[in-house]
Amino acid sequence: MAVMTETAAAAPMAPTPKRRSPYPGWFFLPAAIIYGVLFLLPTFASLYFSLTRWTLFNSTFIGLDNFAQFLREPFLVKGLINTVLYAVITSGLKVVLGLMLAVLLTSQIAARGYLRSVVFFPVLVSTVGVGITFTILMHPTQGMINEALAMIGIKGPGWLVNPSLALFSVALVDVWKGVGLATVIYIAGIVAIPKDYYEAARIDGSTKFQSFLYVTLPLCRPATVTVILLSFIGGLRTFDLIWAMTRGGPGFASDTIASVIYKQYQAGFMASAPPATWCCSS
Amino acid sequence: MAGLELKSLRKSYGNVEVIKGVDLSIEHGEFVVFVGPSGCGKSTLLRMIAGLEDITGGEFYIAGKLCNDVEPRDRGIAMVFQSYALYPHMTVYDNVGFGLKLAKTPKGVRDKKIRDAARILQMEHLLVRKPSQLSGGQRQRVAIGRAIVRQPEVFLFDEPLSNLDAALRVDTRMEIAKLHADLGATMVYVTHDQVEAMTLADKIVVLSAGEVQQVGAPIELYQRPANLFVAGFIGSPKMNFAEVVVDAVGPGTVTVRSKDLPLATIPADTTGVAVGDAMTLGVRPHAIISGGQGSLVGVVALVERLGNETNVSLTLPSGVSWLVVLDGDHSLSAGQTLALTFAPDAAILFDAQGRALHPLLPS
Amino acid sequence: MSLLRNYWLSAVAIVVSAVVFLVPFSFIILMAFKDKTQAQLLDFSWPQGMHLWTNIVEVVTTRNWMLLTAFINSTILTVASVTLVVIFSAMVGFVLQRRKTRFNGLIEFLILAGLMLPPAVVPTIWLLQGLGLFGKLHGLVLVEVAYSLPFSILLYRAFIATIPRDLDEAAIIDGARPFDVFFRIILPLLWPVTVTNIVVQSVAIFNDFTNPLYYLPGNANATVQLTLYNFQSQFSTSYNLLFTNIALITIPPLIVFLFFNRQIVAGMTAGAVKG
Repeated sequence: MAVMTETAAAAPMAPTPKRRSPYPGWFFLPAAIIYGVLFLLPTFASLYFSLTRWTLFNSTFIGLDNFAQFLREPFLVKGLINTVLYAVITSGLKVVLGLMLAVLLTSQIAARGYLRSVVFFPVLVSTVGVGITFTILMHPTQGMINEALAMIGIKGPGWLVNPSLALFSVALVDVWKGVGLATVIYIAGIVAIPKDYYEAARIDGSTKFQSFLYVTLPLCRPATVTVILLSFIGGLRTFDLIWAMTRGGPGFASDTIASVIYKQYQAGFMASAPPATWCCSS
Repeated sequence: MAGLELKSLRKSYGNVEVIKGVDLSIEHGEFVVFVGPSGCGKSTLLRMIAGLEDITGGEFYIAGKLCNDVEPRDRGIAMVFQSYALYPHMTVYDNVGFGLKLAKTPKGVRDKKIRDAARILQMEHLLVRKPSQLSGGQRQRVAIGRAIVRQPEVFLFDEPLSNLDAALRVDTRMEIAKLHADLGATMVYVTHDQVEAMTLADKIVVLSAGEVQQVGAPIELYQRPANLFVAGFIGSPKMNFAEVVVDAVGPGTVTVRSKDLPLATIPADTTGVAVGDAMTLGVRPHAIISGGQGSLVGVVALVERLGNETNVSLTLPSGVSWLVVLDGDHSLSAGQTLALTFAPDAAILFDAQGRALHPLLPS
Repeated sequence: MSLLRNYWLSAVAIVVSAVVFLVPFSFIILMAFKDKTQAQLLDFSWPQGMHLWTNIVEVVTTRNWMLLTAFINSTILTVASVTLVVIFSAMVGFVLQRRKTRFNGLIEFLILAGLMLPPAVVPTIWLLQGLGLFGKLHGLVLVEVAYSLPFSILLYRAFIATIPRDLDEAAIIDGARPFDVFFRIILPLLWPVTVTNIVVQSVAIFNDFTNPLYYLPGNANATVQLTLYNFQSQFSTSYNLLFTNIALITIPPLIVFLFFNRQIVAGMTAGAVKG
């Protein structure tokens, strides 16, 4: 029969305490009520509605028929595709650029403090404000970006008015705003790598690039996973920026699931919102 | 008066039983030490007394009152933790007085009690500091002060000296002994260090795997250990053991032989002993002397000359290693053959179950 | 040789970062200084005349001081939500970390679900309408609290793991009840994490656009983000006013950034690693 060690005995597994535990269950109560009622309940309700056809009086379980019907509407499908595309582009760019910036900002260049602040500040600013600002900067004729490009002889595209470019333009702004967070997470990861590894690599004859490839990159994997997860999930749920810049337009070119849901809500179609939400979360 | 009674106390975590029926009586004012190797359950037993662990079975009384389900604060106890457990965000003054503040003691009374405790422990100059500004020894004193100020019936100590360095350990040990003499309170002390147990205790409780091996005064445990475990645990350096076979049984003596020893006749309790029984012979390193007819012959493996005594690691013919501590300085070298002897009544015989067969005491 | 390369790299980095990151902000500020006509040029020209004060006054007094109301609402929303989140999540994080029961796995799953799943908006609206909380500021407060709890709970749970259990036990022996243990011992020791949490949550809730959009329709209850959004039509030709608005709502995050930069970064990396 196994005997518990002293340390294990000091951190007890409380079976059913006869006396009141110093860690009372009612501490969960306020948070549980708010979270349960205002988040869990609607989420489960949404799942239920996704799987049923309902009128005011009864509901029948029809399984995935709602999803099938949802996927038959072309503009809804486009929203789904856009959402995934957006998430992939933004998280991809944030990972790559974030890592590059982090490597730059942890190297021996000057003005690192200034650079880190400047890169990170957009993360804290209002998304609507950023959206409006860049909408103006991206104005096809009067916007600063195209005027600057015109100065060096390039005719700038219609960033937000060209249907094939609109989603991509918004994604770029998203990356502008969010790369600072990715950078900061990567910096934390890089700084945590012990110097010994780099010294060992140098003795083994590694170049700077090889050190990056074989030491930095693998040891940054937790940070990479975090950045990918955060930006991908954030990208799937994106709404603020799209709404502020294009409202899903032109047409439906830059619609994402979140903007689709909002438009449906505005128009009063309740049935497609729940399946859309569940597509978004999967 | 605050005596403690433990009756068939049991403790299980799920299906694992860690305390297997402990019976113990602690008198008021006694200094009792729970001692044993890691994992034996001594800390668990202490925490059950404190009320930090639930009692799965059996009964626990403080001053005759059943206390199984009584909250710690109502048991009249105070505890000193191995890690001191001082509140980092409070000054020493507030740390010591925290319990009093919770009990809504009036400020004037509280202040007097805190300063009294500080005076006893000579830490008045530390009252305004925070724990992070104190050394290990000072923190331990504050922890003790926090216990004193509540004027408990029973003091509980959970390995309080483990985190101190060797010199500080000796000093603090003496302070605790002095505290006991001054306050006369009941103290229950847990340690894995048998030197602390031997020096501080009125009564030692040796535990192994959740069971009490022996309870008694330090000298009693040293001279008449109840079994192999206690014999090997108490006393430093550890007792030497050899496998022997009973050759003959006499009145009050048993003659044994083994590959390493010629026939030796040891005074022992002969009840139930038969010729041919397998037994264990135990002899303490200090009990072996050089010279004589040399009943013990071995090859020196290692010599440690400490000046006043010499530690010799001896390899016996069967390959077993015995440690011998010889008085005075002997310059021996490895590989040398040494002949040693020991007095028969300094040896103890243990039966096949590990029980000691001490010669019966005259009634 | 590498020193020269470093200086060159630094120079390039500083210039590129200025262009990419500082130009948009400079644009905002420049526009805020211009008058209406010049602002319509939408270019990077230097403002002729300092119109900042008049712009501010006009923006703030528009539609019956709507921006001021919005600032007040946003402040109330942020302060109330953050206060509740901090206290409730610390309580949960504390018991979750200290007390191991068979429900812990389920609770953690539910919390993680809160981090991953987007909120089901439409059912929530029905619920709020049913409870009479729809379109009300305190309804939105509760919703923000619900959405912010998961991150906060995980943050606290991780940090409480670094507080030794001995302290709880010493307090219990000293006579502390659960309430005392939490408020007198644990919460004070959580102060660094609490500061970080307050800062991170405040920025997030202050900048939140989606939730007020869904749950607070109607101008009287608008937050600053909604107001900015709505003013796009109001100021459709007065770009100077629009950008003054943007500048004004960038000030609170800027102040937070200047004073709490270290805490924000620590909080976001800590939360990210745990998440």
